[in-house]
Amino acid sequence: MSTTIPTKPDSPNPEKVGSPPGGPETAGALARLRARLSVMRPASRRLTGLAALAMVLVPVAAVLWGSDSWPGALGVDISGPLDDFSKWIVDNRDTSPVFLYFLLHISNTSVDAVDGVYQLLDFLGWTGVTAAGVLLAWRAGGAGRAGLKVAAIALGAFAGCGLLGMWDPAMLTLALMIVAVAVSALVGFLLGLAAGLSDRVDRALRPVLDTMQVLPAFAYLLPFVLIFGTGSPAALLATVIYAAPPMTRLTALGLRGADPAVLEASASLGASGWQRLRTARLPLARKELLLGLNQTIMMALSMVVIASVIGAGGLGDEVYSALSTVDVGAALAAGIPIVLIAVWLDRTTEAAGELLGAPPAADGPRAVRVPVYFGPRPLRLGSRLLYAGRIRWITVAVSTVATVLGIVAALVAGKLAGAATWPDAWTFDISGPVNDIQDWMVNHVHAGVPVLGGTEVWASNFTSWVLNPLRDVLQGAPWWSLLLLVAGLALLAGTWRTALGAAAALAATGVLGVWSKTLDTLSQVLGAVALTLVLGVLIGILAARVSWVERTLRPVLDVLQTLPQFVYLIPVVALFGVGRAAAITAAVAYALPAVVRITTQGLKQTDPAALEAARSLGATGMQQLRQVQLPLARPALLLAVNQGVVLVLAVVIVGGLVGGGALGYDVVYGLSRGDLGVGLVAGAAIVCLGLVLDRVTQPAPARRKDG
Amino acid sequence: MSTSMTKEETVQDTASVFSVRNLWKVFGPKAERIPNGELAELPADELRRRTGCTVAVRDVSFDVRQGEVFVVMGLSGSGKSTLVRCLTRLIEPTSGVLEIDGEDVLAMDKARLRELRRHRAAMVFQHFGLLPHRSVLDNVAYGLEIQGVDRLERRAQAMKVIAKVGLEGMEHRRPTQLSGGQQQRVGLARALAVDPEVLLFDEPFSALDPLIRRDMQEEVIRLHREEGRTMIFITHDLNEALRLGDRIALMRDGAIVQCGSPEEIVAAPADDYVRDFVRDVPREQVITARTAMRPARDGEAGVGPEVTPLSTVATAIEAVARDGAPARVMDDGKLLGIVDHEALLAVVAGLDTASPKAGAAA
Repeated sequence: MSTTIPTKPDSPNPEKVGSPPGGPETAGALARLRARLSVMRPASRRLTGLAALAMVLVPVAAVLWGSDSWPGALGVDISGPLDDFSKWIVDNRDTSPVFLYFLLHISNTSVDAVDGVYQLLDFLGWTGVTAAGVLLAWRAGGAGRAGLKVAAIALGAFAGCGLLGMWDPAMLTLALMIVAVAVSALVGFLLGLAAGLSDRVDRALRPVLDTMQVLPAFAYLLPFVLIFGTGSPAALLATVIYAAPPMTRLTALGLRGADPAVLEASASLGASGWQRLRTARLPLARKELLLGLNQTIMMALSMVVIASVIGAGGLGDEVYSALSTVDVGAALAAGIPIVLIAVWLDRTTEAAGELLGAPPAADGPRAVRVPVYFGPRPLRLGSRLLYAGRIRWITVAVSTVATVLGIVAALVAGKLAGAATWPDAWTFDISGPVNDIQDWMVNHVHAGVPVLGGTEVWASNFTSWVLNPLRDVLQGAPWWSLLLLVAGLALLAGTWRTALGAAAALAATGVLGVWSKTLDTLSQVLGAVALTLVLGVLIGILAARVSWVERTLRPVLDVLQTLPQFVYLIPVVALFGVGRAAAITAAVAYALPAVVRITTQGLKQTDPAALEAARSLGATGMQQLRQVQLPLARPALLLAVNQGVVLVLAVVIVGGLVGGGALGYDVVYGLSRGDLGVGLVAGAAIVCLGLVLDRVTQPAPARRKDG
Repeated sequence: MSTSMTKEETVQDTASVFSVRNLWKVFGPKAERIPNGELAELPADELRRRTGCTVAVRDVSFDVRQGEVFVVMGLSGSGKSTLVRCLTRLIEPTSGVLEIDGEDVLAMDKARLRELRRHRAAMVFQHFGLLPHRSVLDNVAYGLEIQGVDRLERRAQAMKVIAKVGLEGMEHRRPTQLSGGQQQRVGLARALAVDPEVLLFDEPFSALDPLIRRDMQEEVIRLHREEGRTMIFITHDLNEALRLGDRIALMRDGAIVQCGSPEEIVAAPADDYVRDFVRDVPREQVITARTAMRPARDGEAGVGPEVTPLSTVATAIEAVARDGAPARVMDDGKLLGIVDHEALLAVVAGLDTASPKAGAAA
């Protein structure tokens, strides 16, 4: 393009506009002040503004409402009205037209859909389902050697479910997943389509998606329970809503990221809008679409498992009930199938994405991806034209037919053998041996290890020396000081609007009457984030500098990043018993892979020219790291902090199930006792806390527009 | 090229394909108030500061005639790419008159405009704009697919065009497996496949390395010679413009500074900007004997070597040097004038530009 797109006219600098009020002396003073201010960095200039504001507001607030914990005068008790509301819903669920003609249909349809899929899986029997899973994986993997690997993973996953005696719950989870993912992907795709094609929709959706991604999974459950009651409809809808954002986001990203040259070429040939979408935009976005599907599936799995708390049933339910009696063996027996299913689904969709996304470039092994290929060049069968482009089609057809035939054959074989469910003789109950090991650990590892102490000792030390003081400091601090602190941090990270939003969100928790519980949760989050960042950045640096460390870590991180949050609770309960330390350990373990990965990538992507320049000046490895790599990786490190905080919060809340207490416990309590008032207030507070933490740690790119 | 001298004579005979009058394109808020107003006279920065607008195409008028290669040339930012996109309304012009075969383009509704893009004008892009997920064959057939031509027919048609641009045997490859030059051949084939009335080229060879670029230029010259299709060619490369163009429009800051044959541009630059531009052009290879000649004096009619009016000064120098006598410029046995040592040397030395002969603008 030879034209420069006109940029917006520079907004007038507020400091230069208008003549100063007052006489020449004040004008001089103002000018000096302005000169001083203009030398300062924008962030500190804004902080000065905040300090000035605080000097006026804080004394007033302190005099009016005191300087202790959140003043009762500023609270609003909403649990009463909420209880009334939920009672009204329970009473009117069968009579009100809103329910009869709308919500009831949704509820019934979702129950029917899940039942239908479950019955289909039941009809297929274990042979049919396994064959279907394995063959589809093989097909998705490109039917070559890569396909075989994916197929092996699928086989392992199903065999694992069966061997551990979890076939039935696994099928129920799978049925829920299939329905949830189908709806979620469709909704997400349609929204993404709208956002990709319309700027207005994009602008409207983006903040909603941003916020949704920050919220812990637990916060999604309560509103659906309120409306639908516990059971699979609520679980299903919560899953659909929770899992849709990545599909929406990636669809929009793919559509927007399409090569403008291609779109222009398409328009220049006279393509209509629909033709352009069908022939250019969507095919160009295939990779993003599949990545979106992958993410949606992984998030749906995570949520389906967590939704056992509201009666989703399946594998999550097994883990949930086992955890509530601290039966680690049973929890592990259900947890391992979850892990296996997660890995299977992730690898299958990832393989499909790679197959579709990568053009058959010269560098790729072609034969792997196109197995039924009659030689390096197409055969010249009569009309070359007829033959053109058919090779691919034939491959696809052949492998699809093979897949279908295989499934049918397995199904028939299974029916003939009369094996509907996994044969009991082939199951192996691991809960006994695992519990024996657990008992041994309680006796030998939890405490009494010479010199080291023991895991339970560490946990209690961590609780009493780190968590308790942190919590006490937070809860003892004057309420306005915390608001001020949050506003200041948000101001450093963003704009006045972020600061105001963050402070308002924190204040909202006070208004809701859960100030001290929120601070308790916050103290856990802070403790976990500190641990995560120290460990994550250290491991990240190590992985960036030592290649074998990175090679070893990569598959481990791959698996860890696909696991649902729920699964992390099992080993930490085994190691640390129940309590806040256990919840925090799970949170650290959950957030660590992302932090390590972002840090490593950030460090490795620093400008090689800058690094080379430093090396040519004779910088030592440490100097290179400190003076070049870390400063240049700053955006990545900030992103790692943000991601770490969001992920940690999600698990700290789920940790309410294993003695984490505070807000997470309130949600669990509200759900299990049917006391929705308490649960919803805690849920709202979680949302607020999530917003505060996200706003305070906004990574740099989000505030580009601010001058 | 064949038609470079016939400009004055053919203006009347040959119909214009594109006729552009007072075309403006202004980017920015409330752009329609800028054209022809006093705001338009402001310098670019001043205008942007006061209105937030940028003038990309400024009051441009020209005609593209049937069968000619019309080159729009200018440095980056001169508005040439915007101009060519205005022709099929890929970018909507702000004001002006734009006709194709006498039909008002700006008045076309969506369907009519699509018809124009599908059948009458096809474009070749600097960055190719190929669909990476399709084979070469399906990329070339893409325009026909959009027109709704059925699969077999469009593939048959595409195969013919692929052969024409020399990509035989590569029809099943993906664009990513081709070199830059080959990819642009696919882009060219895609445009040719719809058999358009006009071919639009937007800096098609800028992204290619010099040797490939020369190949591709020759390809375009060959295609033009074989098919005589009207072409509008955008480039920032003066040599490319001189090689390909029957006529060249030189753009600067959105306006056309000079429009004429390569010879006119080189022999009679309209202003210092153009003069600066053409300074390093080997003049003897562009300027023709007809421009360099002087009237014949007595006794010169029967002696000396003969050259045609269209032969370049370089050819005339060779003839004069071989014979040692001034050469006669002959057209159909008629003596038009004489080129002698002084006249030819004046061309090489660049002394003749002081007295511009040809008109500046078309």
